[in-house]
Amino acid sequence: MANKSKAINWFLHRITGTFLVFLLITHFWVQHYDSQVASISKTVVTQEQTTPEYPNEAQEAVEARFAPGEVDGYYNEDGSVTPYGVVMLRLADPVYAVLWKGFNILFLIVALHHGFYGLNNVLTDYIRNDMGKMVAKTLSWSLALVLLVIGLYSVITAGW
Amino acid sequence: MAVETAERPEAHEVTQEVQTDTSRFQRYRVRTGMFAWMAHRLSGLALVGYLVVHIWGLRALTSPEAFNALIAKYHAPIYKVGEFLLLVAVAYHAMNGLRIVLIDFLGWSPNQKKLFWTLGAVTAVIIAVGGYPSIYALVDHYFLS
Ligand code: HEM
Ligand code: HEM
Repeated sequence: MANKSKAINWFLHRITGTFLVFLLITHFWVQHYDSQVASISKTVVTQEQTTPEYPNEAQEAVEARFAPGEVDGYYNEDGSVTPYGVVMLRLADPVYAVLWKGFNILFLIVALHHGFYGLNNVLTDYIRNDMGKMVAKTLSWSLALVLLVIGLYSVITAGW
Repeated sequence: MAVETAERPEAHEVTQEVQTDTSRFQRYRVRTGMFAWMAHRLSGLALVGYLVVHIWGLRALTSPEAFNALIAKYHAPIYKVGEFLLLVAVAYHAMNGLRIVLIDFLGWSPNQKKLFWTLGAVTAVIIAVGGYPSIYALVDHYFLS
């Protein structure tokens, strides 16, 4: 019985790993290469913590969706868009927000399962006694559960 | 331990190799495999560490002020280095993970040197193309402007 569930988990780990390739490619594209968010990778901002500047495409897209003055934090004082405004293009979209939130939730679950199952593999390799293994397992999956709840809450409530 | 061997056929394969062939050439291959495995483990652990920090930081998604401050912080030079290292870890772990999956599911040999080096080249390209903006931003900040 125990062996069977181990085999299933081993199999699942490979499936989640393969799935993560696609999820991560999408995540990186959205965060770094989409023309509206290009500044995420292209600028360095120094200690004064001024916000990064976004390309015109981002400015126009945010203006088209959220009128300046109507929402807090989407625009800087000088009228340029903020990182939050850019992210809300997806997470506060009247139509597609559900899809993006769904994508993020799926990503969250798959990444946590793969990462923490892998972490447990490593831990059980180095921890010798059964008691220690049990404690490590309980602690790590508890942490994963806490992160799941935090992650779900953040991404679901963002922009809504 | 028997169960663990069953869970990780890769390690099993390597042990067998040591037993069956100890020519110099073969030993080199074992060491490459060993290194690939250690690096996979380390990059996996690093990614778990990042994921924890990432999800914890994303609590800021619920507050515009907090989120804008967080992103401003992430544009400091030191984080550009971190961003690059993160890409290295992700690219390596993803490509080597893919190699493991191909070996396990399609029965490809772990000694597939062609597969190893092809994916190695793909990894290098991902790091070069994907890492360019972070490195360029640093160079631009310190030397060009
Ligand atoms: C990008 C796609 C990914 C693929 C294709 C992938 C693939 C794999 C595979 C096949 C293994 C099993 C290795 C073995 O049993 O020998 C593994 C282990 C692991 N992965 Fe991933 N993975 C990916 C992403 C991630 C991410 C995002 C994380 C962290 C959140 C992560 C963390 C780990 C950890 C901690 C291990 C355990 C290492 C060990 O047992 O030595 N992986 N990965
Ligand atoms: C420097 C690179 C990265 C940046 C700038 C970044 C940025 C972000 C941002 C802004 C979000 C909020 C949701 C959204 O915008 O759609 C997010 C969500 C997420 N990211 Fe990343 N990310 C990066 C790398 C990664 C990596 C390497 C992983 C995997 C280990 C990852 C895993 C996740 C997950 C699971 C979520 C969903 C969280 C939730 O639903 O609460 N990210 N990321």
